[in-house]
Amino acid sequence: MIEGDQVLMSGNEAIARGAIEAGIRFCASYPGTPSTEITEYIMKTSDRRDIHAEWSTNEKVALEASTAASWAGLPALCPMKSLGLNVAADFLLNVNLSGTGDGGLVIVVCDDPRGHSSSNEQDSRFYSKAAHLPLLEPSSCQQAKDIMPYAFEISKRYEIPVIVRSTTRLSHTRAIVELGEVPDIEIESAHDIPSNLYNVPRPDFKHKQLLAKLDDIKEDFEKSRFNKLDSSDKRVRILASGITNRYSEEAMRKLDLEDIEILSITTTFPLPGKSVLKALDSATHVLFAEEGQPFTEENVAVLFAKRKNRTVPELHGKIDGVIERYGELNVDKVAHALSRITGCEFRPVPPEFEERAQKSRELLLDRPPTFCPGCGHRAVYWAIKKAKQRFDKPVVVTGDIGCYSMGIFYDSSLDTMQAMGSSIGTASGLGQLSRFGFDQKVIAVAGDSTFFHACLPGLVNARNKNADLTFIVIDNNTTAMTGFQPSPSSHIQRGETFSVDIENIARAALPDYIDIGIASDIPATTDLIHENLTRDGLKIIIVKAVCRLAEREDSKAERPKVYIDADSCIGENCKLCMTQFGCLAIEWNEEEDHSEIENHLCVRCGDCIVVCPHDAIRRG
Amino acid sequence: MKQHQNILIAGVGGQGNLVCGKTLAQAAVEEGYKPVVGQIFGASRRGGTVQTHVRISNSNLGPLIPRGDVHIILGLEPMETLRAAIEYAGPETIALMSETPVQTVDSLAGRKLYPRLDELRGSLSALARRVYSVDPTETLEDLGTYRVQNSYMLGALCGIQTARLSKESIKTGLIEIVGRSQPNTEAFEEGLKAGRCAVSE
Ligand code: SF4
Ligand code: SF4
Repeated sequence: MIEGDQVLMSGNEAIARGAIEAGIRFCASYPGTPSTEITEYIMKTSDRRDIHAEWSTNEKVALEASTAASWAGLPALCPMKSLGLNVAADFLLNVNLSGTGDGGLVIVVCDDPRGHSSSNEQDSRFYSKAAHLPLLEPSSCQQAKDIMPYAFEISKRYEIPVIVRSTTRLSHTRAIVELGEVPDIEIESAHDIPSNLYNVPRPDFKHKQLLAKLDDIKEDFEKSRFNKLDSSDKRVRILASGITNRYSEEAMRKLDLEDIEILSITTTFPLPGKSVLKALDSATHVLFAEEGQPFTEENVAVLFAKRKNRTVPELHGKIDGVIERYGELNVDKVAHALSRITGCEFRPVPPEFEERAQKSRELLLDRPPTFCPGCGHRAVYWAIKKAKQRFDKPVVVTGDIGCYSMGIFYDSSLDTMQAMGSSIGTASGLGQLSRFGFDQKVIAVAGDSTFFHACLPGLVNARNKNADLTFIVIDNNTTAMTGFQPSPSSHIQRGETFSVDIENIARAALPDYIDIGIASDIPATTDLIHENLTRDGLKIIIVKAVCRLAEREDSKAERPKVYIDADSCIGENCKLCMTQFGCLAIEWNEEEDHSEIENHLCVRCGDCIVVCPHDAIRRG
Repeated sequence: MKQHQNILIAGVGGQGNLVCGKTLAQAAVEEGYKPVVGQIFGASRRGGTVQTHVRISNSNLGPLIPRGDVHIILGLEPMETLRAAIEYAGPETIALMSETPVQTVDSLAGRKLYPRLDELRGSLSALARRVYSVDPTETLEDLGTYRVQNSYMLGALCGIQTARLSKESIKTGLIEIVGRSQPNTEAFEEGLKAGRCAVSE
């Protein structure tokens, strides 16, 4: 792929390509949908292009590592998902003051409105305001690429991080992108890091300096070619940012409205106030089209509030509610908002169609996410369930983030699920409540990648405070949820990285008991869990599991087939393997009244064999 | 000629939904359009609903087809075809549906009944202008792999002759995206035949 080529690229790939065109030398990241493909794209060519690319232990470490590269003069990229920025925020709100040296550092944060693959729908733009850092919001795949060199330019000039915000809809959209040139830079060697990389003793001075930088950046943004803030005599103006530009254009066409001008703001913080006010001058109505919270809307409202003795247009958006404040935007929502503002009618489909659609809806069944056939997590949850049944007291199970989060949907195996590392953190609280009469035993469940990402402080706390809990670490050797990136413990490491053993680290916390289990040996795992429930203190069980999607494709063929013996299956009266164990490879044969295994889905793990109380499931 | 053509590919995780989308987009590029592909999926790899929106036009459209504006639904799974129609179909919609169902957790367990094909087809007819359905089972069993259903359906799409893109460019697109493997080409050709014979309801 060379300069001038027109290629189909996703927004994430375009961001990565833009970073490569900007000449990055370093990229550190933790995987998280919808941001993962940025780093993956860079890894694909990193060796050839002499870029160091890594999956770091978590987003904070990734940001620290990339900042270090920038200090040493190497342009660095740090992509992450929305929630990742929460993890990195502690460092971010310090290094904004200390500065990033002259290498250049761009943080790409991918928000997920509607939470397609996230547990919240946070608007990460508030971090740029909180940290006083410049923010760019590209509106198309092409712009996502083009904006990256610009972002690095600003970062280098002001020696602070620049934040580029994408959303799922841009990150995962593919469109034609015209490539630019990849600079043919000799590998520069790193230089010494600058002096005074700390904020004490006078963080207030550093703060003052940062605010002065921000004033200058605002002036730069007044002239930025990435904004489209033309004057207009149209009555209604839409101020769009990010992907909502496209929705606005289409909504306007749909409603056949003429008296509307779409303005586009890409440099959303610090807001170039003069050009924004000028572009909105003489409008009677302004509609803000933005994903997330009314971020730009509030910033513009403040601009108007400060402007004395002038008429202010009516401001519409998420504050007055013409666009709802939750969920993801689309063409229809913008069209509805326009129809409420202008009074023109909008009906996406005729009313009789609505009625028919409503009736058809009754036929649909949900498809909740579930474990793949043969997934080790299902086996572990089955073992937990059996151990709970055998145990005489109630048990609460705290969950974490990863494929095993789907335990929420699997017979309510998990009682809680919040942030990375929260399984052991909340368990360390619950495990100390017995003196207040909390008499439930606590199990915390996390995976290998999450263990390293955020469980270690919780684990240390649990030991230090002597919390009573059982911590189950399901180690399937990969970060499965986001597409099988190696975790620190993975046997197969990228390049020269070194595998870090979970058991050794867990032992170092000096738990009262530590055991190693194997997910596919369900009876033994059940015994282990049950035994630990009867004990007091800090207990750790590391369960080795297999991710069937990450497993080599031919491993299935190496195992003997698993089948259901039609004569032994008692049929309708049981169905336990389907209704309770629920492996998707087991189907009901209506005519013959027994379960059967769908061969092309079954991975021959054999987990279901012990589940059948009638020994109908067999190997051979 | 219409301003643009919106094709919605409806299916479940693992059916090669995005591959279909990429193929059509590649075909569109061959013909000089500026396609845009958007995707809606949750935990897609793990059996959830997946929808890929392909918008073929000369301008840079948004990634998602607005409600009521879909021209063709390419349904890789019967119930998902209906789901897509409920959400996106309008007066101009033509639906092409594969008759091979993918059961859900509830239907497998017998807690809920997977809808009958004729019910699904009936509902679809009430929402779409024309409905075609094809049954790839025999071909896929002959070929010994379900992974090429998407190639079959792309063939069928060419067969019913409603796509703006030519058969040749879709074929070229397919080869570009999945390579020139025998099961894929064969599935495509079989789908093409099935599509040509399919009559709309
Ligand atoms: S991707 Fe791997 S870990 Fe995740 S549900 Fe599937 S088999 Fe289990
Ligand atoms: S052996 Fe049993 S549990 Fe494992 S994949 Fe096959 S049907 Fe599912």
